[in-house]
Amino acid sequence: MHEPLAVIIRSLSLFVLVWLSTRLIGKRTISRVKPFNFMGYIVLAIVATLLSLNLVNLISGFIVLLTWLVLPIALDYLSIKSQVIHELINGKETVLIKHGKIMEENLIQLRMTGEDLLAELRSKNIFNLTDVEFAVMETNGELNAYLKSDKKPVTAHDLSQKVAPQAEPQTVIMDGNILNEPLFSLGLNQEWLNVELEKLGVALENVFLAQVDSSGDLFLDLFDDAVEIPQPKVKELLYASIQKVQADLSSYSLQTDNKNAKGMYLRDSQKLENLLDKLRPYLLN
Amino acid sequence: MTVASQVKQTLATLKGARGTLNMYTAQTRDDETQSVYTNSLEIADTIINDLEDRLKTLEFEEPQYKGN
Repeated sequence: MHEPLAVIIRSLSLFVLVWLSTRLIGKRTISRVKPFNFMGYIVLAIVATLLSLNLVNLISGFIVLLTWLVLPIALDYLSIKSQVIHELINGKETVLIKHGKIMEENLIQLRMTGEDLLAELRSKNIFNLTDVEFAVMETNGELNAYLKSDKKPVTAHDLSQKVAPQAEPQTVIMDGNILNEPLFSLGLNQEWLNVELEKLGVALENVFLAQVDSSGDLFLDLFDDAVEIPQPKVKELLYASIQKVQADLSSYSLQTDNKNAKGMYLRDSQKLENLLDKLRPYLLN
Repeated sequence: MTVASQVKQTLATLKGARGTLNMYTAQTRDDETQSVYTNSLEIADTIINDLEDRLKTLEFEEPQYKGN
């Protein structure tokens, strides 16, 4: 009778259904999904297509959809509960390089050639096999490599350097609109933002993006790139002025003849020197 | 420039730095950073006191330059 209308209604309802089921199955994107879950997606898609074209019986189609929706979710839950089931479903990761040596038998087991392994390593920006201490093929097909300790990127810890903890910056203006939620989460309000903008002489409409970092400094990007705005240098200035005071104090200690004053100046300049060492990671970074 | 006015200038710089430090203490969200800043404020305060005391003695010694 109304065949086109029926097709539209079926398609729409199946569209919603499939969309909901993909949301239910999880957040993982297709490229990182395990082969088994990938099968589930394909079955859902094919059955949904067949159903909307009315090529299969409505009820049996729905039964198939439901089975393929519920089973993966149930198996996911089971694999959370039990390590054995997790390995049964997803398989186990395979070690490909151990102590810097390629495990050829594991490579064959995965049906990978040496060239495949090198290509995977190159995609991780590793061109030299000797740099790798340990590499493993995860169950979702991704290769992860652990570099030898002398080839790892240098961290502040390696340099035994103290760095100040920094929380993530919050975006407070986007496209000239104030975003209230991040602003409130910092314990600031629009009034504060307006004052800061006024200090810099910038109108809100001209701001494309603004971020507040964990120390409370405001960084702006304007629509009009010809306008140069001063980026906050307050911390550097603060460090410099403490340095100046320290230098002044040590020069006074040399100038004065009064013994008490000499001692006081020396002590205080020493205190400031220690303070500067301590503040360095926080103010200069 | 007399010694007293030099010390006054240093004192002013230090007080300015203390003010900025105070602002950052209020602004920062991190507890560790905050405690470092608070600690620094205390040290700055003791030095400010020392300098103010010294300034009094200096002004007593060279009263003609008072107010510079």
